[in-house]
Order: sequence, then structure tokens, then C-alpha cells
Amino acid sequence: MTKHHLTSKSIALVTVLLIVGGCGPPEQVFFQSNMREMVSNQIAPKYQQEIANVNEALFGTPDEPSVMPEMKLDIKQLQFAAGPVWDDQQGGSHGLYRKHCAHCHGINGDGRGPTAQFLNPYPRDYRPAIFKFKSTYNPARPTTEDLHRVLMNGIPGTAMPSFSLLPPAEVAALVEYVKYLSMRGQMETSLIGYVFDELGEGDDGERISLNPVNDAEQREVILGELLADIVAGWEEAPEQVIDPDPDAIPADKTAEQLALSVDKGRVLFYGTKANCIKCHGPTGLGDGQQDDYNVWNKAVVTFEEATAALPGQIKTTKASMRDKDQDQKKAIKKELAALNQSLALHKRVQEELLPPRNAIPRNLRQGTFRGGRRPLDIYRKVYTGIAGTPMPGGGPVTPGAKGTLSDEEIWQLVDYVRSLPFEPASQPTRLRINYDVLN
Amino acid sequence: MTNSIKSGSFWLVPCVVWLTCGCGERGYIGPVADSQAAMEIRKALDTSSGADGEGGAAGAASSGTGWATLKGRFTFDGTPPTMTPYDVTKDLATCTSNGKPPLQQTLLVDSATKGIKNVVVFVRKAPRVHESAGPSKEPILYDQKECVFLTHVLPLTVGQPLQLKNSDNVGHNTNIQGKKNGLNQTIPAGDTVSFTPQKEEALPAPVNCSIHPWMSAYILPRDNSYYAVTTEDGTFEIPNLPAGEELEIQVWHESATGPGGGLVLSTPEAKANKWSKKGRFKIQLKQDETKEINLNVPETAFRS
Repeated sequence: MTKHHLTSKSIALVTVLLIVGGCGPPEQVFFQSNMREMVSNQIAPKYQQEIANVNEALFGTPDEPSVMPEMKLDIKQLQFAAGPVWDDQQGGSHGLYRKHCAHCHGINGDGRGPTAQFLNPYPRDYRPAIFKFKSTYNPARPTTEDLHRVLMNGIPGTAMPSFSLLPPAEVAALVEYVKYLSMRGQMETSLIGYVFDELGEGDDGERISLNPVNDAEQREVILGELLADIVAGWEEAPEQVIDPDPDAIPADKTAEQLALSVDKGRVLFYGTKANCIKCHGPTGLGDGQQDDYNVWNKAVVTFEEATAALPGQIKTTKASMRDKDQDQKKAIKKELAALNQSLALHKRVQEELLPPRNAIPRNLRQGTFRGGRRPLDIYRKVYTGIAGTPMPGGGPVTPGAKGTLSDEEIWQLVDYVRSLPFEPASQPTRLRINYDVLN
Repeated sequence: MTNSIKSGSFWLVPCVVWLTCGCGERGYIGPVADSQAAMEIRKALDTSSGADGEGGAAGAASSGTGWATLKGRFTFDGTPPTMTPYDVTKDLATCTSNGKPPLQQTLLVDSATKGIKNVVVFVRKAPRVHESAGPSKEPILYDQKECVFLTHVLPLTVGQPLQLKNSDNVGHNTNIQGKKNGLNQTIPAGDTVSFTPQKEEALPAPVNCSIHPWMSAYILPRDNSYYAVTTEDGTFEIPNLPAGEELEIQVWHESATGPGGGLVLSTPEAKANKWSKKGRFKIQLKQDETKEINLNVPETAFRS
């Protein structure tokens, strides 16, 4: 009896202590590495550490961001957006990114914040620096104004809200921070590529470490090639903006002119020239090609396929051991150990990834256009497609080139797409129900 | 007695749950940067950016003279795989011939010679480039018919225009997702679009069609034409390579199990050439030499 009382009391005490004590001081916030890239490129743990070190040297930490002059990022704005959330005595907000963005987009901008798994579509992963809703040619980076527009308007039809009620300085700081996280993510992938391509362990076990402190060539590569390439992409974005010929922009059309344009757009939409029907479907509901992926989900699919292929590889490698001599068996055993280790790593990383989803073509009858519903927004989508997604463009590939669709045709498609939500088929109709039968 | 047991088990449940879950269970997070090391690197990078002069990093110093040829053959060691038909789900009239979908091309082995087709062999860095191997401006026709890219693996030089043609009577879109080059363009039935890769890729970039997801091919833009793709009998030849220099050769196949598609070999012939885990080997050629390497590739080098 007493014994039992004691046990239950001590258990109670331990529990209370645990709850009150919690888990000690809050953990330090740090940038998590891009383990999907690391593992799929077979980057050894020592190199993983060195890559993390170099990237921190360039970009600092979530609490203390730092920049290199060539990045052309505003450190004041970054400091305003970074760090823990707090208010100063004047009521000014600090730690804006963690206050408004990190719960979906994650501390490092990987689009895997704690709420990400509950959202559809998933929050954007900034690290590849690919953005869907922008004014530039498909492969180009977005302009600062493009990112700003997304923050101000939000993205209709998604969980991304508008931040237009924040003071302008706060929005500007967040835009800068998104660019910063993007460049940081690009740099990490570039460093992984550099280590994979140029460094590594030779068969003689000799290892060239990634340590720019005592290697001038590595310093030159990191700043002069990898970083310069990334920054150049962001810098040239304003030159890559698609601005339609002002004379070609259809001004106020009469009802007849608009109807004619819509009719021509409809023919294009369903024809083999613009091919819209293939994905957006014969009804425009997005019921065409539905089993493709965007680049973010495709990366996960590719990783999952690599994981799934490993057990088979292990099996064939094991089978290849038969009728081999002792030395060969030893080599195969070594190979097997590496494969098993790789499988374990793949599985651990895969647990962290969000289950991939197909890119479903937009239902054009809803009248919800994520990239904006201005004619200009839709024009740019038809012109150059949507970066990172299966949506292709029909305009010129690069400035000055010739597209497969003429400017006039693109505007006709814009008119048709904008008319789709107002077609009778898109509107709810009153069902003629014989209520007598129901009763 | 009963009461105390009850209260004991009442507390036991949360306690056990708490202890098993543990604190700060975060899954797999990888390395955390070492701040001390990062500070030192930052200092080093800061000073080097100030003294930013002629960066001599790119391109190895050249030492030899003259030119040489590398040729060889890849043969399959095992039972050649049979290719299954593509999963053609739409535009059946165009994308099949007499109702039969075309066969996949993921691993093509010639039944007679056991040669492996579509292995890409290219020089990673050339200290010297022969005038015949420089970048070309010659346009290349890149056609698609019956919903198949007619050139499955295509190396080309940077700045060389690709004429993306659609010879089908249905629309296609060509989606190129390289690390450095990107394109996603609709190509109307019977039309042609020109696309010029602007940057060198370290490995072949996938080419797909979003409308017909089974369509798959690869392009490899390089700064020079020191590349070759094996033909049906598994042979390749790269002429006019710089002699007397150490050259690193990358070998790639779309179904190879090595990282990024590198063809990793551990056969005796491969070991003699110091084959790496990334599917690369190093050679040094003598002037006017024609070096021949023949390689047996076991089944295990490919994804099944």
C-alpha cells in the first residue's frame, strides 16, 4: 500500500518537474542545411559541415544576417526582418520574418515551416530562386517590384495573405529578406555543386577540404564565380521584364470588338496552335493533363525514386557476390555497406519532405488568378509561361526572338480567358427539381 | 490499494509519453555551422574581395603540345534488358503507330554486339582547345515525331541554336530544366522554335514535354565540342584532344546509378584508368596518339 503510494507520488513529482522545467532554454535558431541536395549529391558529412560554414560566413545566421558588398542587399533592412520577434519602446516591430512568414516558409525559406504540411498549395521554397508570379521572362529572377506586389496583394486562391496593412518599411524589409534567403539557398546549392564537381576524396583517400581561408583559388571561385553568377541573375531581372508594345495593348474595346477577340481566343484555346486545352481541359476546368509536377515537387519525386531504387541496387549488388574471389567479395562488401548507409540517409531525409503533389492546371472558370487578374498579368503568363511549372509560354523565348503566338493572338487569348468565368457554363444555374418527387 | 494503483497508472501514462517523445525531437537536421570557422572564412573572403585582381582560377595551365584521339566502346555485361513501351495515354492517333506505342530508351543495348547506346563521354576541363572543337554557331534540328524526341541525347556547344521542331499534328511543349539553362515553350503542330543555350552544364539537362509526360530526352551544352555519345554498337570517338595534358573525362548515362547519372565502374579496366565514384577518369594522351579504351559495364551500374 505505502509502496504504491510512494511510486505514484514520485512519478507525479517527476511529471510536474518535467512540465514546469520544460526543455530548458529555447534552442538557438539556425539555418538548416538543404539535406535533400546534400544526400542526393552524396556529400560526405565533413563537406556538409564545411558548406554550412562557408554559407554562414557569407550570409550570417537567422539572428545576425550578414552580406558581402557584391550581393547589393541592404543589411539594415535584413536586420529589421531577421531575428526573434520583439517590439521596442516606441512600438516598432522587429523580427518581421519570424513574425509573419517563418511559420509557413520556414526559418531558412525552404517552404517547410510548421504549418506548411496543412496547406495546399504548399508555401514557396525560396531556395531555388524560382518564383511563379513575376513580370520577367520564364528563366529570369523576379524583380523587387514583383516580390513586393505578391506581398501587397497576397496570392488569391492560396494561403498567402496580403501584407498591405503593414507599414511600407516593413514590407520592403521582408522583400529584401526573401531575396536574401533566396540567394542564400542558391549559394548553398552552388557550393554543393562545387564540392561535388571539383573537390572530394580521391581513391587514394586524399581529401581536398572546402576551406577558403588558405586557398586563394577557392576564394576566387566562391566570390568570382558562384556568388557573382547568382547576383548577376538578380541584377539583370529589370532588363528581363516583359513589357507589351503600348500600341498593341487593346484599349477600350467596343462590345463587338471584344466579342470578336474572345471568339478568336476561343479558337486558339482549343486548337493545336496554343494547345491550352491539353492541360486546362476541354471544359477549362483544369481537367486536362494532371499528372505532371512543378519543379519543387519534382525534386521530391526524384529523391523518392532514388530512395526506392536503392533496395533493388542492394539486392543486385549482393547477388553479384556469387562466384567471386575473396578480394572482389571484399570490394563488393564495401560497396554494399555504402549503399546501405545511403539508403538509411535517404530515408531520414525523406521523412522530412512534404509528400509531393501533382501540378493541377488552373480551373479558369473560377475567375481566381493567382498571379493577378489584370490583363497584363494574364498576358505575361501566356507569353512566357509560369516559371517552375508545366505551364509553357507562346511568346518569344528571349527579348527580340519570334514567338509561336503573335502579340495579337496572345491578347485574344487573354480576352478569352478573362471571359471564361462569365460564360453561362461557369455560372451556377437553378436546378429544375421536381420537389414533389423528393417529397 | 485499488485507488493508489489507479492514481499510479494515471500518472504513468503522461510520464511515459513525455519520456518517449523527448524534448526537441526535430528529425534529421544535418550540420549546424561552426560560428568560429565561419568568422575566419568571412575574414578571408573579405580581404580577397578587396584585392580582387586577375583570378587565375579558371582553366588549368597548359603544358603539352599537339593533339590526340580518344576512342572506345561500352559493352553490356549481362542479359540485355528489354525496353517496355511508353505509357501513351493521349493523342493515340499521333503518338502510336498502328496502335503500338514506341519503346522506351532508358537503356539501349544492341543484341548483336551488346554495345550500349547513348553513353555520353566528355572532357570536364580542357586546357587547350583545337580550332575544330571550339563553340559552333551551326543550328541543330531537334525534331519530335510520334511524340518522341528524335535525338535522345544531344551534346552541343554553348551558343549553338537548337531548332525545336514539332513534326506532329498535335501540339507539344518543350520543357528544358537545366541547372543553368531553362525553357518552357509551346510548339504548335508543324512549327519550329529556336532556342540557344547560353551556359555550360556540368551534366546533361532533362528535356520533357508537359503535355505528353512520357516524352523524355537530354541535352548537354558545353563550351567546346570535346564530347561524344556512343552509337548503337557502343562506340565513341573524340578527336583533336590536347596531348600532353591531364584530362578528366566524365562518363554519363541516364540510367546509371552514380550521383547525377555518372557511370561508376569498378571493373579491372576501369580501375586501370582510376575510375572515380562520380563516373570520371583521368588520361594523358601522347601527341598523335589514338588511345582506345574498351569497357565492360555490369548490370549493377544501371538502375533496374
